[in-house]
Amino acid sequence: MFLEFVEGPLWYIALTIFVVGVVLRLLDVFRSGVRTDLAPPRREGLGGALRTLVTRSWTAPGFTRGAAFHLVAGYMFHLGLFVLLFFAAPHVLFIEERLLGFGWTPVPYWAFILAANFAFAGLILVWLRRVMHPVMRRISTLDDHLAVILTFIAMFTGCMALFQHHDSLRAIHMLTVEVLMIYFPFSRLMHAFTFAISRSYTGAAMARKGINA
Amino acid sequence: MNKNAKKRTVMRRVLVLILSLVIILPLIPYAVALVDGPGAVPNPGAQLWNEVRQRDGASAGVSQVQAVDGSVFINPYGERWRQFRMQQLVPIGGWLLVGVTAFIALFRLIRGKVPLEGGRSGKLVPRFSVNQRVVHWFAGTIFVIEAVTGLVLLYGRFVLIPLLGPEGFSATAAASKEIHNLFGPIFPLAVVLMILLFLRGNSPNMVDVKWFAKAGGLLKGMPASSGYYNGGQKSWFWMVVVFGIAISGSGLVLNFPVFGQGREIMEWAHVVHGVVAILFITASLGHIYIGTIGMEGAIEAMTQGYVDANWAKEHHDLWFAEMEKAGMVGVAPNALEEVKRHDDIDFKGFGSPGAKQKEG
Amino acid sequence: MPEVVTEHNVERGKEVLKSQIDAKIASYFSSCVHCGLCAEACLFYTETGDPRYTPIYKVEPMRRVWQQENTFWGKLGKGLGILKEVTEQDFAEWQEMLYESCTLCGRCSMVCPVGNDIAYMIRKSREAFAAAGYTPEGLQGATRRALEIGSPMGITLHTLEAQIKHVEKATGWEMPMDQQGADYMVLFSSMEVVNFPEYIEAIARIFHQAGRTWTISSKAFEATNSGIQIGDSGIARELVSRVVNAAEELGVKYVISPECGHAFMAIRWDAPNLIGRKPNFDVVHILEVLDQFRAEGRLKVDSTTDERLTFHDPCQIVRRGGVVEPQRNLMHMVATNFVEMPDAGVMNWCCGGGGGVSAQEETEELRLKVFERKKRQLNAVKPDRLVTACANCRIILEEGLEHNEMDLEVIGLTELLAEHLAEGDTAAK
Repeated sequence: MFLEFVEGPLWYIALTIFVVGVVLRLLDVFRSGVRTDLAPPRREGLGGALRTLVTRSWTAPGFTRGAAFHLVAGYMFHLGLFVLLFFAAPHVLFIEERLLGFGWTPVPYWAFILAANFAFAGLILVWLRRVMHPVMRRISTLDDHLAVILTFIAMFTGCMALFQHHDSLRAIHMLTVEVLMIYFPFSRLMHAFTFAISRSYTGAAMARKGINA
Repeated sequence: MNKNAKKRTVMRRVLVLILSLVIILPLIPYAVALVDGPGAVPNPGAQLWNEVRQRDGASAGVSQVQAVDGSVFINPYGERWRQFRMQQLVPIGGWLLVGVTAFIALFRLIRGKVPLEGGRSGKLVPRFSVNQRVVHWFAGTIFVIEAVTGLVLLYGRFVLIPLLGPEGFSATAAASKEIHNLFGPIFPLAVVLMILLFLRGNSPNMVDVKWFAKAGGLLKGMPASSGYYNGGQKSWFWMVVVFGIAISGSGLVLNFPVFGQGREIMEWAHVVHGVVAILFITASLGHIYIGTIGMEGAIEAMTQGYVDANWAKEHHDLWFAEMEKAGMVGVAPNALEEVKRHDDIDFKGFGSPGAKQKEG
Repeated sequence: MPEVVTEHNVERGKEVLKSQIDAKIASYFSSCVHCGLCAEACLFYTETGDPRYTPIYKVEPMRRVWQQENTFWGKLGKGLGILKEVTEQDFAEWQEMLYESCTLCGRCSMVCPVGNDIAYMIRKSREAFAAAGYTPEGLQGATRRALEIGSPMGITLHTLEAQIKHVEKATGWEMPMDQQGADYMVLFSSMEVVNFPEYIEAIARIFHQAGRTWTISSKAFEATNSGIQIGDSGIARELVSRVVNAAEELGVKYVISPECGHAFMAIRWDAPNLIGRKPNFDVVHILEVLDQFRAEGRLKVDSTTDERLTFHDPCQIVRRGGVVEPQRNLMHMVATNFVEMPDAGVMNWCCGGGGGVSAQEETEELRLKVFERKKRQLNAVKPDRLVTACANCRIILEEGLEHNEMDLEVIGLTELLAEHLAEGDTAAK
């Protein structure tokens, strides 16, 4: 009953809120518009936008020491989560059956364990820094903590259900994921999409001035 | 005597003879065996069974299954391991956990919360850096997750089945097993980080011996001198190192049975894992108690990164003197980060290996 | 003529904050995960350790307005009265953070992992604070002087003419004033006119040698723009229009921004957007002009120095202005022993006085504290002389060096070149 609800109606509600919410949030960003830069550029912005989109994936020259923690823990979490999300065998199956109609090769079990280790270790580390470091403590909002906690719970219940022998465990995982999906468009988690917009805007503006940002 | 009667008598005797033979003949091998001793006459049935049970010790047969222990039909050591787990590990470990908890409760009743004798001075002394605190809570988080799920697997059938019922416990146990195995491999990372960030200042010396002689100053009116870390903290640190390595090593052996380790190795790993886990958890109870609700002003060291000057004076007098000399008493909350950032300030005794590092 | 707002008006400030939120700002706030990396790039944080100086925290009022106007929880929270609107106290507190502890150096914008241009957000925030009248007195005064007298330091054409007379005496040439149709129109910063008139002489010598015509406009010789520092686009537009009008009247091909960081930003990058069109001339920085002369063989030196020289990159010219290579080419031209400080180039550390910070007396203590960063950079290379290309940087550097009792001469790059200019061998026709 519970399982039927979370796998049926609630899933579709969550999916709709997630998709519509994200699209509305993106539209809201673009709706504000940007004034055209009239200053004669040194070079065109497009190249810079694409460049910065890629180069901000690592640190600026001479900044690796200062960003070492974020770099290591951040990548552990994000790469781990990426593998879990799109390459865990149950997820690939779910995507094939419920979303796209086709799937792809999932990673082997050992790679899944490794990805989960990285994702959990990274997430715990970045969150601990958030509550320990004076800078992150000052600038963090309730939203930041909620996003971390909901993500952690979704991942945790996912691991609990890994054995796949208990429908109750799977139902709990579905529920927590759906909560996360509903929360997503209203939250900090939107950075998963808007980071590309931010990087591109900055990259383009700086390229027009002749700087590789 | 008529001919028929004679014939019948012969028939009867033959029949008796045949019957006798039928009964006696199969006994001949046994009789021979009895006379010649065992083994003289091979008995395929007995031999097979003996092989299966491996009464004469472990032996491998021949099998098409290409796997570690694939040709072992029944593992003779399983029973030994099972008996250890059920008759020693579970009951002794259980009493140890309950006993230590009871001891802490007793200590609480007698001593109460260890207070700050001098009250709060309002002056801060930096104690642990951001990185040290992050690593401590990282290790702590993984430890608690592993301890709880591990205890569910070890004691769940005694404690949880009555509470949750068999179905409920089945799901709980399955979930605990997955969580335990998934978070397990993170613990070695935590142990390595703990060693890197807390090694400095943790080598034992004579001060620690005196500290132990005075029962760590935990008794009223018997203060014990101590530097940056006291004897108890140092012991706990080395327990974390030794237990941490043992539990990580044995855990990895159990978690990844893909490197050719057979059942016998796994059983030994399990024994080590179980024994060390019980000791580790038992010891952690003391650490957790005294670090949180057991002592006034202690928890801040790991949450805020600094302690009250009076706490430092009362529990780590030698370190406090050093800090006073270095001008690190009554400083801003982020002073430790400041010291790390500026290479021109440095002093001994604040236990952070990053202290001398400089941004490039 | 626009005026400097001095009366506090929080409502107006909030309105402007709202109006400043464009797609970039909306995207930046949506993307920020509060990782705090920008703090590590900001010398106000690294040198004080005060988390209040975290760059993204300096735009907190704008974030709150964005949250309450653009997000679901924000609107709900505001509607239910849970979320506090930006108050007078907030404006007062953040005035200090936006003006005293940010030089708009833009180092944070280079390191943000999600690519936020935080300096842009701060510049936009200042727009609202200027409109609300929450601006430091020092900047207000400078801006008022710029509007009324024509220079933030209050110098007049008369002062410039006096300095020009000295130059004419020294060189024996007549300085070209208001010459119609000259190739280049040269601008100055007040600081140069008062403190470093050597720059004017250096320009005269170099252009004489290069054989290009140049002129000074009596109507607009001041390049600095307090409007963009205080964050008032109306005032910035007024000030920049003076330069644009004068240059277009004279019909020059190029306008040269002097050795001043924010002046280059104002004329080269902001002016077209402020006046709403591209002016009928190109704007170049003096370093770009000199490098072009060098490449064309119009700039010749007859001596070099083997002193150990290093170059301080002014933020607005380098990181925010895109002039990175010219100064290095020119340094190599005259210095055989040119060494780079750590982080030199686009990731250079600010002197601590840009973005209007040096215009406020009350920032001196903080400025000297954050100068520690420059001190360490300098100690890493131990130069004999320090070269730069911004009069404001130069003043701040001299101040910091004096405070730290470091015996190091600071010199402008244009002057350094003039020192080594080939005598007699001029292309002048």
